[in-house]
Amino acid sequence: MADLGRLGKETFVNGSAAMPPVKGGAFTSFRTKFIALIGATVLLSLLVGGGVGLWNVGKLSHDASAEIESGLTKANEEYLTRYINMTSQRATLMFNRTFDQVTGLAKLSQSLIDNPQLNQDLNAFLEQYPGFSDKMTYNSAANWMQNARGEPSVISVWGYLLDENGRMRPDVLEAVRNTQFFDLVVPSLMTSGQDKLQMYYVGPKERPIMRTMPYSDQAQTFDQLYPGNNSQNWWDFFFPGVYEAWESWLKDPSTRPVPTDITVLSPYVDAITGKLIVSYFHPLYTRSRDAVAGMVAMDVTLEQLTQLVEDVKIAETGFAFLSQQNGNVLTITPEGESLLGLTEVSATGAGVTGHERSLLKSTFKDVASLRMPRPGATTIDHVTVEKDGKPMGLLVVMHPIEPMNMWQPNKGIAAENLMLGFVVPDSEIYASLYGAQKQISSATNSIVKGILASVLGFLALVLALSIPLSRRFTAGLVNLADAAGRLTRGDYDVQVPVKGRDEVALVGSAFNSMAREIREHTEMLEHRVAERTSQLASANDEIQRLYDKMKDENLRLGAELDVARKIQMMVMPAQGELERIPDLDIASYAEPADEVGGDYYDVLYIPGGAKIGIGDVTGHGVESGVLMLMVQSVSRALYERGVTDPREFLDVLNRSIYKNVERTRTDRHLSLAFVDYADDAVTISGQHEEVIIIRADGAVERLDTMDLGFPIGLEANINDFLASTTVPFARGDVMVLFTDGITEAESEDGRLYGIDNLVASARRSHHEPAGLIAATIIADLRAHIGKQKVHDDITLVVLKHR
Amino acid sequence: MEIKTGEYNVWNEGSTIHYEGTLRLSGTDAYQPILELMQAVLAEKPQNMVLDLTQLEFLNSSGINLLAKFTIELRKHPELPVKVLGSTRIPWQSKSLPNLQKLHKGVELVIT
Repeated sequence: MADLGRLGKETFVNGSAAMPPVKGGAFTSFRTKFIALIGATVLLSLLVGGGVGLWNVGKLSHDASAEIESGLTKANEEYLTRYINMTSQRATLMFNRTFDQVTGLAKLSQSLIDNPQLNQDLNAFLEQYPGFSDKMTYNSAANWMQNARGEPSVISVWGYLLDENGRMRPDVLEAVRNTQFFDLVVPSLMTSGQDKLQMYYVGPKERPIMRTMPYSDQAQTFDQLYPGNNSQNWWDFFFPGVYEAWESWLKDPSTRPVPTDITVLSPYVDAITGKLIVSYFHPLYTRSRDAVAGMVAMDVTLEQLTQLVEDVKIAETGFAFLSQQNGNVLTITPEGESLLGLTEVSATGAGVTGHERSLLKSTFKDVASLRMPRPGATTIDHVTVEKDGKPMGLLVVMHPIEPMNMWQPNKGIAAENLMLGFVVPDSEIYASLYGAQKQISSATNSIVKGILASVLGFLALVLALSIPLSRRFTAGLVNLADAAGRLTRGDYDVQVPVKGRDEVALVGSAFNSMAREIREHTEMLEHRVAERTSQLASANDEIQRLYDKMKDENLRLGAELDVARKIQMMVMPAQGELERIPDLDIASYAEPADEVGGDYYDVLYIPGGAKIGIGDVTGHGVESGVLMLMVQSVSRALYERGVTDPREFLDVLNRSIYKNVERTRTDRHLSLAFVDYADDAVTISGQHEEVIIIRADGAVERLDTMDLGFPIGLEANINDFLASTTVPFARGDVMVLFTDGITEAESEDGRLYGIDNLVASARRSHHEPAGLIAATIIADLRAHIGKQKVHDDITLVVLKHR
Repeated sequence: MEIKTGEYNVWNEGSTIHYEGTLRLSGTDAYQPILELMQAVLAEKPQNMVLDLTQLEFLNSSGINLLAKFTIELRKHPELPVKVLGSTRIPWQSKSLPNLQKLHKGVELVIT
């Protein structure tokens, strides 16, 4: 009982050990889950709300930025376009003023050409005044003539215009004289209007004398800088093609690229001053307007234009440049040149040193691929350059100024639009945009921070509120969990306090009643276990008692069986007894199926003869053995009383056995036959199996006993059925008596041994002594049975006449 | 009624009792159910009775005792014709069945 009780408790303890702990786990407690749920819900809604807010703020800032950018871009572009147009107009004005002066001088000159008399008179008149007559001297070394220093203008007459004596040709001399008005007119022109380097006249191709104001060592400088100029026509040497172009213009004015006679030289380094200059040429024509009569010209430094361009200031570092149509930049600040990646190369032309600094050759791809605007149009481009190793965005605005006829070395005269360009770094143009974006971004950031702070703050507030709240909500559950834990540990008296009427309270009530029930059940269980254990104990006692008793009885039964068997064996004839019979060699074999057999055989000796009995009691075991003992005893008694008649013998035997069977209510009977031997003959009586006789010559006789008797112990009176038969039994004859245990012995495959096998086996060994015959038969039978179960008692008796 | 095992089968069709297989029961007590079946058929007071043993391959001595006892009982009903059917094919039958006729003259033994 105590053992069982302890076992029960251990089972409960094991059950609790397998359960997860109720408290302590990070996410196991209901309260933690409750708080986590509230936190997650609030956090989710705040994040969604905050996210939507942030998205809107982001969108707003993006839209505002875009709006500002678009507005700023428009405003900037409008401003720049207007500015560049204005500057372009100013540049045009500047050119026009130069053009006007050149045109003025040209008109004056042309009118003098058109009025040769006036010109002659004017010159003659002027020669009367000192300083107006040229004192020409011949430089024999250089082979040219030039007036002396100290005169207002220098006039050079090239060697190819002199005769062999170093004197001017008469027409040349006249031409020189006809240009003396220059000294009168030009000084006033030089000092008015734009700053001019020099103004000069060059004669027609047949006498290209050159008068230049102010005076300089003109021919000497030319010889120094342009060797060979004195031996080739001036026009062809310095400006090939210009003269011819003018001649064609004269014939057809519409061939002028730009409808003006003024021809501009592309900027070049002046041979005399060394400055970058632009020359403006104006052709003169003969009085009859059928040929070119030379030109007047004016050299202007680019400084003024440069000044105009350099005066352009946009934002902080924005600048302007002036370029030719082909991208050659004429004027630009050194910083601008560097920023646009331009490099300057000096190109040497035939007569003048050119100037090459092309946008197309910029080291920056964007700049090199800038498109030039069409006349009158303004282009705005964004390019990216590199400054101090960092990319830098630039806004490039370009606008062409008024077109002009421009001569370029090797190219002749073509219309040329000089380009005005403005360059402003994006960062400056969009400085305000970037500022606005920065402000928007910072505003967005502070909004984000605000939202995050409010989300976290609200979350903290909710958690702070939900913790005590959850404690209140879950108190009942915690109590329940504690109580359940105590219950698990075997404390069946546990009860939880029940407050309120919510579901937890209902569960608490249910738990309390459950706990009470468990306690009752447990107590009852213990009681019942005790009761049952007590019953089992007494049953066990009973079993033990019965077992002891059974052991006793078994022992006793075993002893009884032993006794019965011993008695049975004892009453069997001993081998020595068999050998006492003089005529007969008798061998027997008996093997009971149980401890006590039901087969009977006996050999009774009398002088001169013997009575051999063989029988088979139905069934086997003790009762059959006892019946067999009775048969043996009665037979013995009858034999001793001298009953020799076989029928009488069997009749008396049957009566006594029948009565005994009745008395003992033994439901058994037996077959029984006797063989009486005397004087070489056997008398067989009683009903049993066949009797086999193997004659000495091997002949086989099988005697049926069915009609010689009747089963013993079955009927009270069998006298009517009894009979006997006598056959000879001589020397060498063999008789085999057996029970059906032999003939009905089964082989492993269920075949019966049968009488034929028995006869054959006996016949095979009939010449042997009885013992060997019996051994042969049993060996054959054993071989037949093999491992098959032996169902019945086996008894064999072999008689051989000696 | 029918008594059936893997080894033997005993059943009746009206007053004809069929025996089939191998009867090797140990002792009279073991044969009691079969005896009861036979007595039950007899208790019906049939006009005649047939014991068909033609399919009973083996019957041990206790079984023969049973048949003998039943035959002795049949002598109390001399008016009831009893037919015992046997087979020459089966050795024990020609050896043991004639005794039944000796016990009760009313038994008609047909061994074919």
